[in-house]
Amino acid sequence: MVAPSGQQAEAENRTLVEVRIAASAAQISAVRVVAADLAARQDFDLDAVSDLRMAVDEVCATLVSLATNGTMLSCQFLVGVNSIEVLAKVTVPRPIQVPQNTFGWRVLSTLTDEVHAISHDRDEDAGGRPSVAIRLGLRRERTHG
Amino acid sequence: MTSQDTGYEHLTPLFKEFASLPEDDPRRQQLRDELVTGHLPVALHIARRFIHRGEPQEDLEQVATVGLINAVDRFEPDRGTDFLSYAVPTITGEVRRHFRDQAWSMRVPRRLKDLHVSIGAAVSELSQRLGRAPRPTEIAAHLQCAVEEVLEGLEAATAYRSASLDEVLADGDTSGHTTADALGEADSALDQVEYRESVRPLLASLPERERTILLLRFFGNLTQTQIAQEVGISQMHVSRLLAQTLATLREQMTSD
Repeated sequence: MVAPSGQQAEAENRTLVEVRIAASAAQISAVRVVAADLAARQDFDLDAVSDLRMAVDEVCATLVSLATNGTMLSCQFLVGVNSIEVLAKVTVPRPIQVPQNTFGWRVLSTLTDEVHAISHDRDEDAGGRPSVAIRLGLRRERTHG
Repeated sequence: MTSQDTGYEHLTPLFKEFASLPEDDPRRQQLRDELVTGHLPVALHIARRFIHRGEPQEDLEQVATVGLINAVDRFEPDRGTDFLSYAVPTITGEVRRHFRDQAWSMRVPRRLKDLHVSIGAAVSELSQRLGRAPRPTEIAAHLQCAVEEVLEGLEAATAYRSASLDEVLADGDTSGHTTADALGEADSALDQVEYRESVRPLLASLPERERTILLLRFFGNLTQTQIAQEVGISQMHVSRLLAQTLATLREQMTSD
């Protein structure tokens, strides 16, 4: 899987929506609202809508806690007919891995069909600074509980 | 109403025994369950009187049951009044408090409030029928309205705040034995994982119902709709409680 881009989104008939907020806990609700709205408009069932909203909340809270002060959090939604993919990213003061032995990570893996953390020591898109990102995916048809 | 012809007089002696036992007597829990279960029709009857005021029936029944539990716990049989004269105002008060506390956190047009109510009813009916949470298009078809309206109504639902209800319900455990089974499994799943934070004490400090819902979702792998059925509240309420509980836990984890 590659990072969502406008072109690719078009090729697969998916829509790209990007939200950028100051990397601060107070701004997260904006991303949460967008997530829920996108899922509801893709006709996800209400459990999935709520799961995506909570997952995005968790992702943003995790990233905000790692982000360099005064920077932005970018959250891209790649919306397809059968799935929604989310890629959220922040720049960080020094290279770091997103810890995965946390309760928060357990929450993320339960709420989504797919979740990965991605760390860059030198991120070209972030002006060569280190960054961390979390990517998650939710399918419209879900098989599990 | 007198204590002679209520149909509950067989329970009266239990109150005397309940009141006479020390706090830690295991028989107390058994008596308490019996008294609550025995008087449940009273609570449900009171809940039904409030049905057309825009709250989901299952939430009303929950609140009324909490009122009943409080009444059982606080009733003093030596005072000379009968239980029903004490319980009916206590339960009614609890339900009224629920309505008072259930404030819309922002100004929402009347039309949307009504829609919120119809959506709530549609969700619970469709969940029953489908065995899963419905989709917006399914709700729209059921209500014979436009999907756009349903989306609008769902959005309004997030403006609806139910925090005080959660406090009210915090000490009332109405979970049945199937929930206990599912909870046992979830608990052992929790035991198998080790986290870098010490999660256990935080989970233990949660109100019982919030803890139950959280464990069932994240360690018992139940969907919100399944949990709603287990615990006897609406899916929307489960959704709100889960989100709130996660936020609380996050706060506590970072403050440590």
